Amino acid sequence: MKILIENLNIAIPILYFIVFILYFSNFWKPRKSLARLKRIILFLTLLIHFFYLFARTIEFDHVPITNIFEIFTLLAFAITLSYYILELITEVRNTGMFILFIPMVFQIISSLKIVDLLNVQEILRSPFLGVHVFTALAGYAGITFSAIYGGLYLMLYKQIKMHRFGLLYQRLPNLELLESLNYTSALIGFTMLSTAIVIGIIWMPQAFTNPSYFDPKLIATIFIWILYALGITTKIFAKWRGKRIIYLSLAGFVVALFSMTLLNLLFTGFHKFH
Amino acid sequence: MNLISVTINHKTAPIELREALYLSEIEIRKILNQIKETLLKEVCILSTCNRTEIYGVPSNHSITYREVQEFILTQKPVTKIKSDNFLNYYSCGAANHLFRVSSGIDSLVIGDQQILGQVKDAYNIAVEENCVGTFLQKTFQSALKLGKRIKTETDLFEGPTSVSSAAVQLAGKIFSDLKKKSVLVIGAGETGKLTIQNLIQKNVTNLTISNRTFSRAEKLAAKYNAKVLPFDNLKERLNEYDIIISATSSNSILINRDEMSAAMRKRKFEPVCIMDIAIPRDFDPNVKDIENIFYNDIDSLQTMVNLSLEGKKALLPAIQKIIMEELIELFSWYNSLQISPLLKSMREQFESVRSQEFDAFKNKFASNEVENLELLTKRIVKKLLHNPTVYLRKSADQVDTQGELQLKIKILKDMFNLNSKGNESE
Repeated sequence: MKILIENLNIAIPILYFIVFILYFSNFWKPRKSLARLKRIILFLTLLIHFFYLFARTIEFDHVPITNIFEIFTLLAFAITLSYYILELITEVRNTGMFILFIPMVFQIISSLKIVDLLNVQEILRSPFLGVHVFTALAGYAGITFSAIYGGLYLMLYKQIKMHRFGLLYQRLPNLELLESLNYTSALIGFTMLSTAIVIGIIWMPQAFTNPSYFDPKLIATIFIWILYALGITTKIFAKWRGKRIIYLSLAGFVVALFSMTLLNLLFTGFHKFH
Repeated sequence: MNLISVTINHKTAPIELREALYLSEIEIRKILNQIKETLLKEVCILSTCNRTEIYGVPSNHSITYREVQEFILTQKPVTKIKSDNFLNYYSCGAANHLFRVSSGIDSLVIGDQQILGQVKDAYNIAVEENCVGTFLQKTFQSALKLGKRIKTETDLFEGPTSVSSAAVQLAGKIFSDLKKKSVLVIGAGETGKLTIQNLIQKNVTNLTISNRTFSRAEKLAAKYNAKVLPFDNLKERLNEYDIIISATSSNSILINRDEMSAAMRKRKFEPVCIMDIAIPRDFDPNVKDIENIFYNDIDSLQTMVNLSLEGKKALLPAIQKIIMEELIELFSWYNSLQISPLLKSMREQFESVRSQEFDAFKNKFASNEVENLELLTKRIVKKLLHNPTVYLRKSADQVDTQGELQLKIKILKDMFNLNSKGNESE
């Protein structure tokens, strides 16, 4: 089993690289045969990656969330799975290269640095924690997608405004769809983050003897949650459309990124397990 | 291949002559029946605003393009027409021309989407009038298949070919579903009409027309099932529309920046697409600086058309390749038609010799050996025929422009004395 895990650890980043190259080349030169192939390879990559995560859980007797590099591979899986679902629902296949670059980078780093821990704190073996971490990661994947689609919206907005009808203009889906992808991703991200927060808060007193509600990750996540709640409310009630709501979502993402990074760098809390 | 094609099109004749030679469906049906009785045993006529073309298989070898031209001109007399205004093609050239036409690369605007439908209609009319035989059926079906291939394998039919189609396509890059959008067309002139036609093709249903002369707007609105907005109310109701296409003949600006800003505030800055295709412009060009307004004038739309046409031209080598593939397939089919009767005659003759000799000699063998003897003779004949059959099929798979296949068929016929058997193909 361990040899299989080691081999998969090498194969998975290669698969992510192939998927990225397929989406990249199909963006610049669309071919119908390639469009089908890239989706099949993406599905296979997800399947193999799922098996890898499952195998790690069985072999090391804990969900792969005990160190940052295990989190990275789980994050790569969460982002790719979310993208795959989004592609199936929307049938927008041309934006993959802008998103699949991220899991590729995470998976490469993870594969290079991952360590196999057998003795971990008992708390890390809890299935509750697995769900909590996965929903939190999916939540962050959602708001990252939202930011990417927001960025693509602004790029296309500028192209149309400046009458540049080049490759980006031709390949990207229409502005209304990009706006809707931006909003749907934010909504999914927000729902996932809410789930993660609720599970975390319910489970925390059971898992820790002296939990602190001033943990930096918790504060940052609740802060981000409030930001997105405000954005979604504005979109619904103030009926903001187009560039304004996109700017708002991008601002939300930047704040999320900085608050998460800064709070984690400057303070420590119970979210550290090793 | 005994196919001829006589054509008059935008490359050979000015619009007056093309218009004069344009044939309506009723005229096409009448001419098809007349020409079938006299000149062409299979015939199909394609007539559009840019071309009138006749494709056919002559009833006998003495009939050439001259007779076909003369016949058309007696049916549809046109003065000032010269033989230079016609282009005539034969055999491979005629099939190649039809393929170029149906692929859209021979059109006035390269990549014209309508032509494939027009070729299909022409073919269907000829079928209905019983003017299509095996040969034209295969040729036109190949042409239609080719058109579909071009559509799926290349981007030739993508991208705008005119300012009005560019305007509609650009709106499609801003909004997901044009059907759900409210569209205002200002101006009831020719450009406005063309744009409305393009919008209706994209399933736009919520359409409003505004024109300085109210009656003209009403007339156009009735034709396209649209609403009418009185010209005096235009400015105060601009906020109601997601797409505004303006094509009036006004000499001054109709809508200034402040008026458009006010409209945007009213609609809470929901995106608006403005296509100002009037010369001089109807909108103050500074409206482009307002948030969520996508303003395009005729220059930017023309840039879009030019880019699209350049892209289409770059596709020409790939399209020529597809045309060549379809031509090879058509000629292989045609050649196989020619060799089939010969192969049949050869098999029959060899079998006849074998059975005669077998009957003559079978009594000289013991009864238990006769069955094996028959098997043996059959095997010998089969083996003797194997190489010539493969050779002929191989020759038939190649495009034959020099009549080599015909020569080979003749030699084989002479060699085995098969001429008396008939089965001549054309």
